[in-house]
Amino acid sequence: MNFVSAVDVLVIGIPLAYAFLVGVYGRSFFGGSQRADRLQTPTLFTVVLLHVLYILLRTAAFDHAPVTTVFEIMTMLAACIAISYTYIEIRTKTTSTGFFILLLAFIFQLISSLFIKDLVTIDPILRSKLLGFHVSSALLGYTAVSLSAVYGLLYLLLYHEIKSFRLGVIYSRIPTLETLEKMSHKAEVLGFIMLSVAITVGLVWLPQAFESFSYLDPKLIGTFIIWTLYAGALGAKRALGWQGRKTMILSLIAFGFVVLSMTVINVYWTGFHSFH
Amino acid sequence: MDLFSFSINHRTAPLEVREKVWFSEQEARLGIHRLKEEHFEECILFSTCNRTEVYGAGAKTGVSATSIGEVLIDLKGAEDFVKPEHFVTGSSGEAVNRLFRVTSGIDSMVLGDIQILNQVKEGFRIAREEGALGPVLNRLLQSALRVGKRSRAETSISEGAVSVSYAAVELANKIFEDLSNRSVLLIGAGKTGELTVKHLVGKGIGHIKIANRTRTKAEQLVSALGGEVVDYELMVDALTAVDIVITSVRGPSYIVQPEDVERVMKQRQHDPLFIIDIGVPRNVDPNARKIDNVFLYDLDSLGTVVERNLGKREAEIPKVSRIIREEMAEFFRWHNSLQVGPTIQELRETIEAIRSSEVEKNINRFHPEDQELVNLLTKRIVNKILHHPITTLKEQSGNGKRKGEALERIKTLREIFGMGERQEGGSE
Repeated sequence: MNFVSAVDVLVIGIPLAYAFLVGVYGRSFFGGSQRADRLQTPTLFTVVLLHVLYILLRTAAFDHAPVTTVFEIMTMLAACIAISYTYIEIRTKTTSTGFFILLLAFIFQLISSLFIKDLVTIDPILRSKLLGFHVSSALLGYTAVSLSAVYGLLYLLLYHEIKSFRLGVIYSRIPTLETLEKMSHKAEVLGFIMLSVAITVGLVWLPQAFESFSYLDPKLIGTFIIWTLYAGALGAKRALGWQGRKTMILSLIAFGFVVLSMTVINVYWTGFHSFH
Repeated sequence: MDLFSFSINHRTAPLEVREKVWFSEQEARLGIHRLKEEHFEECILFSTCNRTEVYGAGAKTGVSATSIGEVLIDLKGAEDFVKPEHFVTGSSGEAVNRLFRVTSGIDSMVLGDIQILNQVKEGFRIAREEGALGPVLNRLLQSALRVGKRSRAETSISEGAVSVSYAAVELANKIFEDLSNRSVLLIGAGKTGELTVKHLVGKGIGHIKIANRTRTKAEQLVSALGGEVVDYELMVDALTAVDIVITSVRGPSYIVQPEDVERVMKQRQHDPLFIIDIGVPRNVDPNARKIDNVFLYDLDSLGTVVERNLGKREAEIPKVSRIIREEMAEFFRWHNSLQVGPTIQELRETIEAIRSSEVEKNINRFHPEDQELVNLLTKRIVNKILHHPITTLKEQSGNGKRKGEALERIKTLREIFGMGERQEGGSE
């Protein structure tokens, strides 16, 4: 089948394309290479288009959108991050955060490509409208918190450089502390709202779909911890007037749990989120 | 025709010598006049506190670097101060290289400082108004200004703050997104503090507050810079409502304690506070640095910023040198082409003159039916002999040999064939 063989090529090709893309942004960021400067945006567009093509081909080849396993979700997430970043790059006309954001997209894509399986048949449970709603809001939420985490990390790096007088490449090339904090905060608020929606829809849908459903499922507990941490970070900012470093650290811890929940919990505990 | 340069600068002479040969605009006009009368067909003179430089093209016979020096020294009456070791001179490639180094900023006292570009432009204008510019200097100055522009655009030679006050502003710009909705409090009325506030005003700082032990001094500053006066006794409380604090107070002890900062940070809900302590001894207890969202810089730490930026500028020198080499090649390609065409023409004419006069003298020795043949044969020999030198010359005009190498060859050739110095633009 033609679609399947194209997918088989792209499954290796896409992470390689991302590796190249990250390399170009890295050379421009750390090496100040002018050739890399000129190359970065065209490469970004090409990789994003290839990625969209890959997702469409996968959908056609296996007769379902790649949202039914964690590794399918991860390639979707990588695409969403890359697309959001493309939008940000066009809007802000700066490429300086590209390396860090695209690096995250590359990591998600790499994990996905390593473990993704060609699934032709899927559980009929997964053909539900509620699930579509759940998945798209979760994807948006994860994309937003991923971006928020990258901005948060850059904030902490720049904060550290300024605080300790050791001004390095981050200081030279990254926007201001205030900008990073704002970007991180906006993305975090959006992410928190979308994740809340995803969780609510999930909680409505789960008891309908699974008889064996339990509120003590590790995935559900993990999700609840994440939600609480984000709520805590946002709440501390609002209620206690926390600013800067502390809120950033809290958000990054929350993001650490996101990654942990997506990988370790999904892989080692075969709970309700593993359908195959 | 050749190019000459003459320079007294911060590398060759101390300030007390440089200031003796500083030229005001009026003096520069006089200088250009005299130089043009006595030394060059084209010339330009510009003068700053760090340098006085003369560039000339189309030197008249007997012109030497010392004679340029004499004119300048004579005009300024500086015979007792300026010695030959205080200036450097150059010709041809050296002269062009010197000017390009100056406009690129790598010869500046503070590496990458390109204030000099404005002064060169100014000198350019004056020389033009005095009718001292011809095709060569016009082209040379255009190239020199382009070197300046390219160095700034294509390299980081002028990036990053290289003075303490600018370093403070650079940092403020890294902490806060938009200075127009931020405010600064200046405590004490020292020069550096005032300068830093002025730079912040230049960057559009939203609001200024000034506190000083002597209130009248603060009032004077406010009338000059805008803003409002704050009671010196209330200055710690004033920290609640500002984003940047500059302290430059003389005194034996800290005027701001960590506890003060801690309290203030709570009141301002941990909104970032940038403290610039330029007092000697320091005004703010360095322990305040440990508090979250407080960025405390003193003279030493600002110094590290300056050093870092200077280091980065130094790393850009090779890139700038490449631009200089490119522009030099481009300039000499043009300059050589100016010389080559007429030289070839003259060479042909000179040799042809020798040939025809010799043929004329001796033609009667030949049989009448051979005379036409003698003409033809001698022409052929001459053409064959000239073929190689002419092709070589033409090639050189196209490939822009460095540092006027091609020019030197043209000169040698003219000497060998006794063609004399060619005058620029003329048809000698």
